[in-house]
Amino acid sequence: MAKHDKDIEYVGDSQVPAKRVPNVAPSYDEYPGKTELFWPNFLLKEWMVAAVVLFAFLMLTVMHPAPLEQVADPTNAGYIPLPDWYFLFLYQLLKYKWASGTWVMFGIIIIPAISFGALFFAPWLDRGPGRRPSQRPVAVGTMLLALVAIVYLSWAAMAEHEATLAASGGGAPVASNKPPADFKAGEAYTKQVGCAGCHGANMEGGLGPALWDEGTRMDKQQILDMINNGGVTMPKGGMFQGTEEEKQALAEYLASLKGNK
Amino acid sequence: MIRKMYDWVDERLNVTPMWRDIADHEVPEHVNPAHHFSAFVYCFGGLTFFITVIQILSGMFLTMYYVPDIVNAYKSVEYLQNEVAFGVIVRGMHHWGASLVIVMMFLHTLRVFFQGAYKHPRELNWVVGMLIFFMMLGLGFTGYLLPWDNKAYFATKVGIGMAGQVPLIGGFITKLLQGGDIVGAETLARFFAVHVFFLPGALFGLLGAHFIMIRRQGISGPL
Amino acid sequence: MSKDQGVSRRQFLNYCLTGVGGFLAAGMLAPMIKFAVDPALKKGKAGGNMVPVVDEAVLTGEPSNHGFKYKITDAWLGEQETELTAWIYKEGGQVIALSPICKHLGCTVGWKNDPQKQNRFFCPCHNGLYEKNGKNVPGTPPMNPLDTYQVEVKNGKVYLGLVEPNKIVGGA
Repeated sequence: MAKHDKDIEYVGDSQVPAKRVPNVAPSYDEYPGKTELFWPNFLLKEWMVAAVVLFAFLMLTVMHPAPLEQVADPTNAGYIPLPDWYFLFLYQLLKYKWASGTWVMFGIIIIPAISFGALFFAPWLDRGPGRRPSQRPVAVGTMLLALVAIVYLSWAAMAEHEATLAASGGGAPVASNKPPADFKAGEAYTKQVGCAGCHGANMEGGLGPALWDEGTRMDKQQILDMINNGGVTMPKGGMFQGTEEEKQALAEYLASLKGNK
Repeated sequence: MIRKMYDWVDERLNVTPMWRDIADHEVPEHVNPAHHFSAFVYCFGGLTFFITVIQILSGMFLTMYYVPDIVNAYKSVEYLQNEVAFGVIVRGMHHWGASLVIVMMFLHTLRVFFQGAYKHPRELNWVVGMLIFFMMLGLGFTGYLLPWDNKAYFATKVGIGMAGQVPLIGGFITKLLQGGDIVGAETLARFFAVHVFFLPGALFGLLGAHFIMIRRQGISGPL
Repeated sequence: MSKDQGVSRRQFLNYCLTGVGGFLAAGMLAPMIKFAVDPALKKGKAGGNMVPVVDEAVLTGEPSNHGFKYKITDAWLGEQETELTAWIYKEGGQVIALSPICKHLGCTVGWKNDPQKQNRFFCPCHNGLYEKNGKNVPGTPPMNPLDTYQVEVKNGKVYLGLVEPNKIVGGA
């Protein structure tokens, strides 16, 4: 701060000016055009958007509890891991021959370094004065290519993961295991909101296996164990909502489904 | 009454200029969705910050129950999710928020990129934004391990394995991340520390810099 | 637009902003605060289990110290055993078990261990004194009588349960 000016009075021996600034928002009425105040006009719009997002977000958290699988078991050799979705593209990249093995330098250092480096230093690589996408075809084109690559790699990783899961019998849907056309899931099942998300509204399967002929694979006790303790991908306990009798009834119903083709 | 309290504080701290500095600035027409509906693309940055606030708050509350120890971590997560009132919601907020914040940040980054808003004189803010991006990815990676379930454990093994493929220093990086020879007690402890102290600390500083620069430089003009 | 209208419009927007901001804060914080406060709102497990401690025949009119293990549920750790002790004696056919935790600052009291060897409980930390029934002696630091355990006598065995405020003293 500059030296104390003799003309300015301070509060006590502090550096707080004694003269109060009036707490009045300036009037922009005389300004023409369509600009508006940050506070409160613009912030109100932004917070209204935030309120809608928050509402949707809370609905999501209520309807889909955060998954919790079984406790980490390093000896579980059958587990097929998957990184969080935003690391999938990198995960997939390292599976390719030209980016792993002897070429690992390429996959782990050169490609990520070039792409992240280019992103990081974009302002210095794309130096033209124009800001419109049409004025900088190289930058925009590269980004679009990178986006396509990321989407493709992530999709490929997901698809491959599901294929391996299906091959290992870990619960991915088997295409031939569709319920007969006249099959209708019973009330004990449809009443449960938690089941249909993975096993399908009509028990045709989805993330989890089809259940319409579950009685051919498990008996009532095994089904109860599965509901209570979870499976490879099935979450533990918390998905079932209802009384113990309803759970018994559901297990009995599932065990009775012998797949009458 | 409130007026008097405000004046009392203002006399001592001179807060009015600071407050007016935050509140009084004009928002140009081209970011106002009332005039151009396409201006909604400008809200992704604000939403990223909003979700970040949710992440910080829900994370703070989760640590009231969570213990970073391989014997009890899973049990404590299971307990807070199933036994504590609203545990499902609070953990759900943190879990889904982690994905949502990445989505929002991605959209915000793309908006800035395709509008060329990082050009002179806003290069530095882009760089800070990129650093925030990396912090968020780091937070996602370290947070993934904390529940200590199968998914967490094996995904972290894969992630560390990826880092371990770096030639020459791969072994060193692996040991540094794991804090030992295996993904175990030390790994969980250091991932927790990084997730809860180091990265959020860095994030706060970067966010502050990001906002100050936005305020100095203003929003980039219309295309 | 006249100046007056401008101000009132701004004020209106300010109220809206406060309202929306309040909704955002409440929507975020309400579940989290309930989450944090929950343990304080949960009812303690009523009754609690009774633990066999000592044969009734052993007890006399003179308080004697008995240790026992009591199980409590500790969140995700499940049932935990804690070691507790009690001063137990018989009076008029009734078994009385006092908690040895001084009501002053939580030290452990002893029977007849003060320098004068009075028939009183004595806390060595700050010279707190209690009568045999747990009543705090006026003029010494403790403000309340010693707590008692829930007592049950079955088949000649004394069972102890949870700690509760002293009822035999009757208004200290």
